[in-house]
Amino acid sequence: MDYKLNGMAVRHDRKVSILDVMGPVMVGPSSSHTAGTARLGRVAREILDEDPVDVHFYLHPPLAATYRGHGSDFALVGGSIGLNVDDPRIPEAIRIAEQMGVEIAFSEEDLGDVHPNTVRIEIRGKKREAEIVGSSIGGGVIEVFNINGFQTRFKGDSPTLLLFYRDRPGMISEVTRIIAEEGINIASLYCSRKQRGKDAFMQIDVDSPLGKTALGRICGIGDVAEAKYLDRIP
Amino acid sequence: MIESFKQLEEVGRDRDLAEVFLEVDEQEHGTPGEQILAALRKRREVMRDCVERGKSGGLSMGKLVGNEAKKLNEAFVAGKTFLDPLTIKAELYALAVMGENSRMGVIVAAPTAGAGGVVPGMLLALEEERHVDPEKTVRALVIAGGIGSIVALSANISGAAGGCQNEVGVATAMGAAAVAYMMGGDTRTCIHASALALKNTLGLVCDPVGGLVEVPCVKRNALFAVHGLTAAQLALAGVESVIPMDEVVEAMVRIGRALPRGLKETAEGGLATTPTGCAIGQRLKDEANQRRAERAAERERVAMERKERVTPT
Repeated sequence: MDYKLNGMAVRHDRKVSILDVMGPVMVGPSSSHTAGTARLGRVAREILDEDPVDVHFYLHPPLAATYRGHGSDFALVGGSIGLNVDDPRIPEAIRIAEQMGVEIAFSEEDLGDVHPNTVRIEIRGKKREAEIVGSSIGGGVIEVFNINGFQTRFKGDSPTLLLFYRDRPGMISEVTRIIAEEGINIASLYCSRKQRGKDAFMQIDVDSPLGKTALGRICGIGDVAEAKYLDRIP
Repeated sequence: MIESFKQLEEVGRDRDLAEVFLEVDEQEHGTPGEQILAALRKRREVMRDCVERGKSGGLSMGKLVGNEAKKLNEAFVAGKTFLDPLTIKAELYALAVMGENSRMGVIVAAPTAGAGGVVPGMLLALEEERHVDPEKTVRALVIAGGIGSIVALSANISGAAGGCQNEVGVATAMGAAAVAYMMGGDTRTCIHASALALKNTLGLVCDPVGGLVEVPCVKRNALFAVHGLTAAQLALAGVESVIPMDEVVEAMVRIGRALPRGLKETAEGGLATTPTGCAIGQRLKDEANQRRAERAAERERVAMERKERVTPT
């Protein structure tokens, strides 16, 4: 057991690979404060799916106490404007973001009984906005456990489909049937909803990339509000 | 799937340990062994580049460290060191990597950035000094990664979760097993090398001065690189850990939980709260606030300029 989330014991349910342990190749100085946080920023950017105009980082107190000296501010911002963890421009990320005209803000917020290195990110673009809450749990490994207000378990270590839809019977089977017909294996699936029959969310981690046709078919399912496909977060 | 070191020892008996790990990783994560080896070949190169750059030194972000590798290298080249070259190079390379890390240079987290000097220090020094085939070093990186991945099943690899034992301790265990492998040790020997190394790091706290990965992290990596070599040497001579590796890891997790928050990366205890540590912490805070104020002023200036430009005259 590692930490608690809403009173529930949380355990890593996915194995860490050799390349995760002996890596990533990254800009220093801290894998949890620099690489992991950069990946969290990147997750927010990928979910937003456009250039951000405004990003607000709410840091859990232990992270708020340590983030600056580790360059987490550069890393979070770097990730949120789309830089990879090994991009040598990360130390310049805040300046680059300012040049892009991105408004950046940091504040402290108690995010509850979560891993010390946890952050909530509100990101806004011209057309859309997104919100994630996630932890950098060490060695560059991340766990995002809330996306746009929905509880989930997202690690960014495999291609993933995020689905926002209206809760109704048969939705899961319709989506998974399309994925099965594409010959793609599902590694894990998480569902949550805000209220019965109302806004719901599905996260499907797949073993191999999902093609445009499959994504188009899934978007075409009735009651699907939005489908987002994310590659593995580098 | 391998869930414990006990199981690893059974599965890996009379087998090449790197093959076992590659096979397991392919089953579990779908990455072909050849792809893992190719990635690790590149990472070995990144490590070597990092060591080369790091030898020339330069101040860290917090200006607390950065020139340790340069000093040791100069003493070594001038023939003014008394230890044997393997030991010196292990220290030197670990210092070089950590120096680069502290300057926000590109490094390989192994398993973390803050503990990223231990494994390259040990492996690259051994490769050079004992003329090990570089391809064997690449396979030794598989061993290091494999050992770390089993530890990660029950322990969170971060100083924030369990103190430095979870970072440098685990890195030393990974490196010790990898060195035992490079020197021809079998699976059992590799596992004992890691157990001996990890046991001796239990209770190691994470108390970074000013919250930076600088003091004591940089030098600690160098000293534990040597520690890992000695653990591998014992194991290769047939010395075994009385407490099995699985139980050492379990002890580490329990100790990590028992450690107070102040000794888990928060910079609210240990070396960080010594008089010198506090003074440095305060200076860093002041400097950061000043930088922030300067950035805000700069933003305001830019905004004003923009406004002036759009205002018709």
